Amino acid sequence: MELALAMPHLRAVPTDGATAPPPETPDAELLALVAERDRAAFDLLYHRYVRSVFGLALRRLGDRGRAEDAVQEAFAAIWRSAASYKPERGNAAGWLYTVARNAIVDRFRTAGAPVIAEVPDLAADEPGPAERAEASFVAWRIHRALEELPRREREVVELAYWSGMSQSEVAEYLHLPLGTVKTRTRSALARLSGLLEGELG
Amino acid sequence: MTHGPDFDELLGGEPLGPEREQLRRVHEMLLTAGPPPELPPHLEAGPNLAMTTVRRRRQVRRRVALLAAAAVAVAVVFLGGYITGNRGPGKTISAVRTIQLQGTAAAPDALASLRVQPEDESGNWPMTLDVTGLPALPDRGYYAVYLVRNGKPWASCGWFLVSGPHAGTTVTLNAPYGLRSGDTWIVTRVVAGKTKGAGETVMRPANA
Repeated sequence: MELALAMPHLRAVPTDGATAPPPETPDAELLALVAERDRAAFDLLYHRYVRSVFGLALRRLGDRGRAEDAVQEAFAAIWRSAASYKPERGNAAGWLYTVARNAIVDRFRTAGAPVIAEVPDLAADEPGPAERAEASFVAWRIHRALEELPRREREVVELAYWSGMSQSEVAEYLHLPLGTVKTRTRSALARLSGLLEGELG
Repeated sequence: MTHGPDFDELLGGEPLGPEREQLRRVHEMLLTAGPPPELPPHLEAGPNLAMTTVRRRRQVRRRVALLAAAAVAVAVVFLGGYITGNRGPGKTISAVRTIQLQGTAAAPDALASLRVQPEDESGNWPMTLDVTGLPALPDRGYYAVYLVRNGKPWASCGWFLVSGPHAGTTVTLNAPYGLRSGDTWIVTRVVAGKTKGAGETVMRPANA
């Protein structure tokens, strides 16, 4: 706390006593509020997307320190540019992805020779690069959607997909019946399917 | 190589029809996405004032970078034990190590040495890979280095190209993740448009 008081640039964004928008407010409405300099809306948008932005930056920059700087710049760009978002031109998630990606690419270009963790992003109309760009966007949307899952469902998904545990091991680790783990997994996938409806073609 | 859980084992026989295909698509997206990153405490805490300050961006950016580094250092000192004890299965590692990799049947002459450097203040683990014996790949092909956790490719640590099997190649890579005891690395071959997931494993630890 003393650190934050002594260094005002790292203070949390004040919300000016404004009423926070409800947690279920769509991204597009949050962007409209951010365009009007609503800091509470910005705070909500930040928490929805910070993991996606940091994940994208890590994939591109391959360095945690530079990725953290890129997150800073990406959200600064979102704050500055929110008024330019036009809902009729596409969904908000895509716009946020583009703004964040551009900020990260700027960091990539200005910070000298980077350590590359991912093959550089390339023109979207070429087969290989397009697939890589798609993979980045898929990760963006998945990591964003995971934030919406109830904690107990998110937990089983993360353990099942990224811990290397079998379902039986997940059940043992969480002290749950195997059937409960399967039910939660199925429920989580169904919920993600709903959240990602626009992506599933 | 298995790149994640098996969909049919995960869900069993239900549901059927279009709903099952929808869930399978989500399953594939989860495999493509990989794990979400662990956020440093200062990003977890919320947005900061500098993000909403338009003027004097350069100065602000520089100060924020310095302060962020200071905040990370403080957080590492005070929260290191907490984080270490709350990362779920597995424990973190701290020692520098060198891993010898050898070619699989896909690249039987390949040999490599992967040196993992000490963790830096931002949580990166810089690495140096010295490799020989890998053949050059066709256009849009590259070799990828994957962190392997619990026996499965977990996250990318970089990529490289080689000019041919007789040319030694040295590349600098990075693992910007919290490493754990038991983590290791493989080299895979990726051909754009033909490869799904991590790609075919062409090198694995010599003692595996």
